[in-house]
Amino acid sequence: MSLSRSLPSRIGLGAAILLLCAWSFLPIYWMVLSSLRAPSQLFRDPSLVPAWPLSLESYRELLGTTDYLQQFANSVIVALCVVAITLVISIVVAYTITRYRMPGKSMLVSSMLFAYMFPPLLLAIPLLSIFASVGLSDTLLAVIVAHCTLTLPLGIWLFWGFFKSMPFELEEAAMVDGCTRIGAFVSVVLPLSLPGVVTVAIFSFLLSWTDYIFAFVLLSSDDQKTLPVGLASVLGTFDVRWGEVMAGATLIALPLFVMFVFLSRYFIQGLAAGATKG
Amino acid sequence: MRRFSTPSDRIILAMFLAAVLTTAGLILVPVLHAIQLSFFTSASFVDEPSWAGLDNYVRILSDGDFWHALRVGVVFAGFAILFQVVLGILFALLLNMPFRGRPLVRGIAVLPYLLPTIVVALTFQWMLDGSFGLFTNWAMSLGFARPAWFETPWAALSMVILVSVWTWTPFVTITFLAALQTVPRSLYEAARVDGANAWYRFWHVTIPALAPVLTVIVLLRSIWMFNKFDIVWLLTKGGPLSATEHLPILAYRRAFTQFDIGGGATIATISFLILSVLIFIYFHFFPLDEKERS
Repeated sequence: MSLSRSLPSRIGLGAAILLLCAWSFLPIYWMVLSSLRAPSQLFRDPSLVPAWPLSLESYRELLGTTDYLQQFANSVIVALCVVAITLVISIVVAYTITRYRMPGKSMLVSSMLFAYMFPPLLLAIPLLSIFASVGLSDTLLAVIVAHCTLTLPLGIWLFWGFFKSMPFELEEAAMVDGCTRIGAFVSVVLPLSLPGVVTVAIFSFLLSWTDYIFAFVLLSSDDQKTLPVGLASVLGTFDVRWGEVMAGATLIALPLFVMFVFLSRYFIQGLAAGATKG
Repeated sequence: MRRFSTPSDRIILAMFLAAVLTTAGLILVPVLHAIQLSFFTSASFVDEPSWAGLDNYVRILSDGDFWHALRVGVVFAGFAILFQVVLGILFALLLNMPFRGRPLVRGIAVLPYLLPTIVVALTFQWMLDGSFGLFTNWAMSLGFARPAWFETPWAALSMVILVSVWTWTPFVTITFLAALQTVPRSLYEAARVDGANAWYRFWHVTIPALAPVLTVIVLLRSIWMFNKFDIVWLLTKGGPLSATEHLPILAYRRAFTQFDIGGGATIATISFLILSVLIFIYFHFFPLDEKERS
């Protein structure tokens, strides 16, 4: 394909690209713009051009009058615990099945893929029943455990792919030099699989951070809620303050955008492997 | 490949067993428990359940609401997948052309997929707000009557489909775009030498070469769209008049607002079965061994 095109086809291509950008970006732009508009202007000024100066009033209101900060902290705690648990368990499982002889290996891997396709709500109903009977309902621990049902199959599946493609000779060489298997794993395999670790960490974080269903079913008190559920609870109320809601939505999306900009290579890699569930 | 022989190996084995049992427990226990609950009746999660045999299944399968929800689910998933696939392929073809700023545009095209569902739902609700929404303003300044985005059954279902298409089209775009890179250039060159135009090349070179990928995309989208709960719940709560109430919402309502836990678990179990059929089709067409070789 050559870069020199006729004028009409260049205009056509340009128009198509603009349409694509507008389709994908307009809602995001409108969310951020609405969050930065003074609440008094929000219902009067429907223009797409921001009016200067931008106003942070919605953010001040949101942080000052709701449990947003507490819920932000809850979300961070849950997501970090989920990432840590997922990394440890899925590395152990995936490494062992790629390096040792054992029965039922391919069944284990395919059942991970099978489990990864389960819709969260179908797991949430029985999980609530289990947590209620052991007195864990409405705790962050319940949500952490529930999120692991999403992230563990994904982590094992992705690490299985990474470890399988890593030459066995590398560790064998380290072990000939006197390392134990665990020593060889820590000093040779782990540093080399850093891209895999980053990818699994990103997507476990993403699944946990964005989850609405589990938190919605399992949590009921305001100070235990994670961000998505906390923000959703303003919806039922009469007279929704859209400026604050959009400020809250922007703050949930912000960490993801920052990660996407700085780690886009891992994102694209993981996305192409189907790493977000949805 | 080795056996567990040295002390170091045995530590690994112990860790492995603990990890596998945790994982299996986390996933198997809820699934089995859902099936178990479907054979009992109970009005709350702390009550002592009483054995009901197949009563729940008989009751649910002879309930008009169940069949209505199944139909809604098929219509919702069917249209959402259709538009996602068509639009996703168009975007992928566009993003595969060389132009200045392509990496940036590719990044923008992925963004909707990264957003949490709650953010998507709230933003669209604000844009479609009946009094002050951006789209409401636009429609009215074009001279239309005030649109009732979520008030009639068909409008609500269309809006839920539209928002789902917006959010999950990038999945198709990314997957298809990655697959496009694998079509051998020589096939296009040969078609071009034969005088084939772009349309012909798309239908007779691109589509046949990417048929397996397209099947994966459609199957995965079906598995996930059919059981999508959060986007529908957040936008419409299944209304108006249960026009957008599909199986996941019906299951949720039964278990949590009508205190019919057996009924909710039964619907969940039936959904598992439908889902398993789709997943078995997936594994039938794309066995793991083939992936292992590639």
